[in-house]
Amino acid sequence: MNALVLPVVLPLLTAFLLQPAGRLSAALARWAGPAVLLVCAGLLVQIALLTGGEPVTAAIGGFAPPVGIVFYADALALLMAIAVPVSALLLWPRAEAGEAGVRQSALMLLLVGSGTGMALSGDLFNLYVFYELLTVASFGLASATGTGRAYVATVRYVLVSGFGSLIALAGIALLYAQTGSLNLAQLADLAPERLANPLGLAAFACLLIGFGVKAELFPVNNWVPDLYACAGKPISALLAGVVSKLAVLVLLRLTVLVFDSPEAREMLMVLGLAGLVTGELAAWRARDLPRLLAYSSIGQLGLLFVALSLPGPAGLAAALAVALHHLLVKPALFMLAERWHGSLDKLAGAGRASPLAAGLFTLFALSLVGVPPLPGFWAKLLVLLELARGAGPFDLTALALVLAVTVVEAHYLFRLVGILYSPGEFRDRHSPRALAVAGLGGAVLVAAMLTLPAVSDALAGLASQAADTAAYRTLTLGGGL
Amino acid sequence: MHRIATLLFALGLGVLLLGLAAQLPLGATPMAIGNEILARAPGEIGAANIVTSVVLAYRGIDTLGELAILFAAATAAGLVLGHAGSRSRNGEAGFILRTGSDLLFPLLLTVGFYIVLHGHLTPGGGFQGGVVLAAAFFASFLARPSHRPGHGVISLIEGLAGAAFIGIGLAALAGGGAFLQPLLDRGMLGELVSAGSLPLLYLAVGLKVGAELAGLLAQLAE
Repeated sequence: MNALVLPVVLPLLTAFLLQPAGRLSAALARWAGPAVLLVCAGLLVQIALLTGGEPVTAAIGGFAPPVGIVFYADALALLMAIAVPVSALLLWPRAEAGEAGVRQSALMLLLVGSGTGMALSGDLFNLYVFYELLTVASFGLASATGTGRAYVATVRYVLVSGFGSLIALAGIALLYAQTGSLNLAQLADLAPERLANPLGLAAFACLLIGFGVKAELFPVNNWVPDLYACAGKPISALLAGVVSKLAVLVLLRLTVLVFDSPEAREMLMVLGLAGLVTGELAAWRARDLPRLLAYSSIGQLGLLFVALSLPGPAGLAAALAVALHHLLVKPALFMLAERWHGSLDKLAGAGRASPLAAGLFTLFALSLVGVPPLPGFWAKLLVLLELARGAGPFDLTALALVLAVTVVEAHYLFRLVGILYSPGEFRDRHSPRALAVAGLGGAVLVAAMLTLPAVSDALAGLASQAADTAAYRTLTLGGGL
Repeated sequence: MHRIATLLFALGLGVLLLGLAAQLPLGATPMAIGNEILARAPGEIGAANIVTSVVLAYRGIDTLGELAILFAAATAAGLVLGHAGSRSRNGEAGFILRTGSDLLFPLLLTVGFYIVLHGHLTPGGGFQGGVVLAAAFFASFLARPSHRPGHGVISLIEGLAGAAFIGIGLAALAGGGAFLQPLLDRGMLGELVSAGSLPLLYLAVGLKVGAELAGLLAQLAE
């Protein structure tokens, strides 16, 4: 399936040609980007339909792995790959005139190409290259609003990301020195023999910290609140939504395929719990909506890492449920925060001014807290059930913490809903686009709630396929090209 | 206090990494992929410089990613610096500097293209040669700030060179192969016209890197 490379390469090609094209025609430069994203999304959907969810591979350059680089597309990879251009289309930055607008479009295209590559690639160093590309493109996009505070926030983001990249590279070097390979499938083959030692664990820690920067993992997430508060809301939505999930996908592949050890799982669990507790407590103290959402995003991703630390397909299904729920809800919430900035107390009356926005916010808040029968409840329930099944002292502590933190989450979100619906002077209304994106998120959320049995079957299928390391290895290394 | 904490953190990290490095089997690293590439590359790719066959053939898409990273950095810098937009106030340099840069210009261009075009034979290649090419334009720009290369020309070269790299890859795909599969005849190992489409790829890389850096340096100097 050599066409697998097209959704990665076409956005890059368009990005390269966008500036010369902008000199020919402004309209061409403006519409080329969204058009190519539509084509990419269409291609990916077609590949998904053709394969029917069965995994396929593509050897780049025709060199059979592990010598060459391989793209591996199972249902999960395709789902994430489709989410990239679709999210980018929905959250495309508002067109600026002239050179700046063209540059912004080019960066968006680079972000989409690299994001799709991160979803599909089956080679650790190739993943790192795409991760770097995505990082650099997001630097430009985050500072595009041009305000001084956005620059300051971006500089911090650049520094933390640079540190993370360096650590990730050190991790890859450690791994390569131990195994002599970068192909994930071959690493999976060699892991029990070569990586079940302190050096292997250190490599995992390095990769976890490195890729954790984008996934808002506990010690390397201090760039999150300022950046999401100061950057344009569509960019914040994109970073918190799909970009963080791509980093999680890489970590998921690494834990499932290469580092399937109790020590690695403990590390994930501890860092996840730390993120969960600190994020939600900070969100409780936050005084404006974008920061509140940023901190709650850290907390949600902490829960995701706790879920990721649970073994087996059932644990994976819980992690995927939390990830997909967050992927849906958080961008919609950020789009609602576009107009609801400033101190939280000033938002009084917003519910009267725009009932639809307040209604959607309430729906998302209920789902985030986990009120049945909304999907957020089932996602959290899956995590709690798996923790209860583990029943070690670690698992039970985590269980208690998740429940305790849910109370905090409920308190600050319901307090905010109360403010929205209290009488007040707030009159700002949302742009139609922000409402449309949030409304779409709400519609999908309700649809998922109504078709819950089908959704949970699909999730279980995704999880069992992603957990099937034997299939990944035989398909990637044993011919089948 | 903050500084001491930072220092302690850096020291701790350093000790940790040193401790890890001490455990590494240096000198006896497993060469699973390395040995296979060493055995296969000369016959399969036909490039005398094995590094080039890794960079452009076996891991060609990584190189595309790296080109895109450079492009993204230049674009992001343009976005940030574009807001300032003040013209250069520096006057012409003195006679000696101008003459020196005039003499250097053809020399640097020749060396740059030599390094780019011999990338598949000797150490060097598109990235290194591209930097030399950028230096050629930047030296003359420093000597005569008013004669700067047109922004349109630079972005045209940059865009077309990047498109050429991907185009060569897509041509292989359209011909029924895989993306970035080496095309054309491999030729004789060690000759200038050998290694199939690899020299063309390196030419695209060199032009793109050169144009990118020249544009970036000119933008920074403004």
